Amino acid sequence: MPPPNTPVDGTTTPRSTQPSQPAQSSQSSQSASRPASSIIMDASQVKTAVVKMDYQAIDYVNPVDETLICPICRTAFHSPITTPCGHTFCAKCINRALERQRVCPIDRQPVDKTRDYRPIPLIIKEQLDRLEARCPNQGCDYVCARENLEAHYERHCEFTPVRCPKPGCDKLVARHLCSIEGQCMHETTNCDFCLKPVTFVDLDAHWEQECEAAFATCPDCGASVSVVNNSMLKHIQQDCPEATAKCTWEGAGCRVTDKRRLVREHERNGCMYETVGRLLEQQAEDRKIIQDLTRRLASLEAVRDTRRRGRRRDSAATINDRSAAAVAADGTLANPAASSAPLADGTTWESPHNYMLAQFERLESQMEELREMVCEMDMRQSASFLHHSQQVADRFLELGDKVGVLSMHTKWLLNMQYMQRNAQLRAANAASLTAGAAGAGNVGLSGSSDGGHHGGESSSGAGSSSSESGPRYQLGGRRGSEGRIETLTRL
Amino acid sequence: MSAPFAAKRLGKELQKISNSLPPGIELVSADNFEEWLVDIRVLDDNPLYRNEIYRLRFRFSSTYPIEPPEVVFVKLPDRPIPIHPHIYSNGIICLDLLGHQGWSPVQNVESVCMSLQSMLTGNTKNERPPGDEEFVRGNRLRPRDIEFYYHDNDV
Repeated sequence: MPPPNTPVDGTTTPRSTQPSQPAQSSQSSQSASRPASSIIMDASQVKTAVVKMDYQAIDYVNPVDETLICPICRTAFHSPITTPCGHTFCAKCINRALERQRVCPIDRQPVDKTRDYRPIPLIIKEQLDRLEARCPNQGCDYVCARENLEAHYERHCEFTPVRCPKPGCDKLVARHLCSIEGQCMHETTNCDFCLKPVTFVDLDAHWEQECEAAFATCPDCGASVSVVNNSMLKHIQQDCPEATAKCTWEGAGCRVTDKRRLVREHERNGCMYETVGRLLEQQAEDRKIIQDLTRRLASLEAVRDTRRRGRRRDSAATINDRSAAAVAADGTLANPAASSAPLADGTTWESPHNYMLAQFERLESQMEELREMVCEMDMRQSASFLHHSQQVADRFLELGDKVGVLSMHTKWLLNMQYMQRNAQLRAANAASLTAGAAGAGNVGLSGSSDGGHHGGESSSGAGSSSSESGPRYQLGGRRGSEGRIETLTRL
Repeated sequence: MSAPFAAKRLGKELQKISNSLPPGIELVSADNFEEWLVDIRVLDDNPLYRNEIYRLRFRFSSTYPIEPPEVVFVKLPDRPIPIHPHIYSNGIICLDLLGHQGWSPVQNVESVCMSLQSMLTGNTKNERPPGDEEFVRGNRLRPRDIEFYYHDNDV
């Protein structure tokens, strides 16, 4: 067992190292956050909590669950650890208990604090951190999650005991009393009222509880009222039932002036000016509303006027020179800044809002012009297209005619060839039938073949001429038709 | 640092037992964090203790709850000392729970009272511990300094 004064630090939990540090860390952070001007002496030393926050003294807003309470100190766990047998205690409490007996206080199983402590599950730590806790300082009613309470206590709480502002004085004093740098709050002063010696620290409590001279009798009601910080004056002006007071409806014409007690009674019983007073109040409210509305109307009218002016100027510009506007529109497309600049220079605008409205309208008109231009171009384009396509269509028709004529000629030629062949076949048949008159048959055959040749020639000539031009084709056609008639007759 | 620790722990206990106490246990006085008085009575119909109320005096040291409190019965006109083989007639209780070895910091005033209640309830012997008279006559030690010999563990 270690000697009784061995520092207790045997825990292996990460939290256990925390309590030994905050005094230092908060000192440094505080000196960093304080404005340099207020540091006359080493202010960080003065203003930092010197006593660590007492977790046992914390009061919790809601009752803490029994499972989160250390069985030794009977308060919510503070940096708890768990023993190998599974029981949880505050590190400080179990250390203290193990100094006497090295067994778990609950089931008496042996515990070695240098080896056996286990950190608690994070979920328990979380639960503990979230407990709503009250600041343990007397007079402070600050409430926050427990994990943030230490920061409040160390740095912010006005009631945290800190070192006395006087260098060399080693006593503690609540932070809010350290108002005067270098002033020792433990020096004795004489009470302003009873002239008894009182330390600065106790002055407030002295005035409130002990000092009889700090209380005076109210000249009107006879009550004992504190005279500290003008509270007597406040009493007479607002509370004292015997002091002279005026009726609430004084403004409405009530002339009642009496002791406050009687005046209150008068008001309760119904001051006859009350109705008037309320009407006046109502009227004042209405007036306020009217003023407000008038102001809003004025501003709205101003906006409307500027918009109207802007529109007129725009329309004038478009009427004067439409093409110039179109050019300007082109310019806007290419370089918006350049085109808007002249407008901005030319007039002074009441507000950016108005300026933007005018710009918007101008852009809108430019857009309208652009749309017109596009339409015009579209029409021109389609007209020229129509013109060209008409020519092309004419040519097509012409070609179609020619093709028709050609196909007619081809048909006629094919027909012709077919008939010639038929005629030849018939002639051959006739020759085989009249076998006796061979000579005469030969002459007749040769003559008919001559005629066939002639017809073929004439038709080919007509074909060549028709491919050259219309008039000639007509001649050839006639000639061809003559030839055909000829052959037909000759047949 | 030790003294406030005991005071805070006792403050918590007081807060709890002034709200609710088990039947048969009643807090008589707890004006400071050094000495409390508690009345207990046996709940069942044990003829040895029927219709009697006994007064207990708790004395807390600055090392409470690490060290056990000193618990004795107090004799008053209407508060006798219960008869029990482990209770001397001067009120000193021989109970391992209250000794240095048997004590555990998780015990508290309420649990001690309940242990004593059950100790009385379970008793059937109408006798004092052996050597009661000599002990009462000769003992000048405080109860905490007495080394009891727990000769009888089944009562």
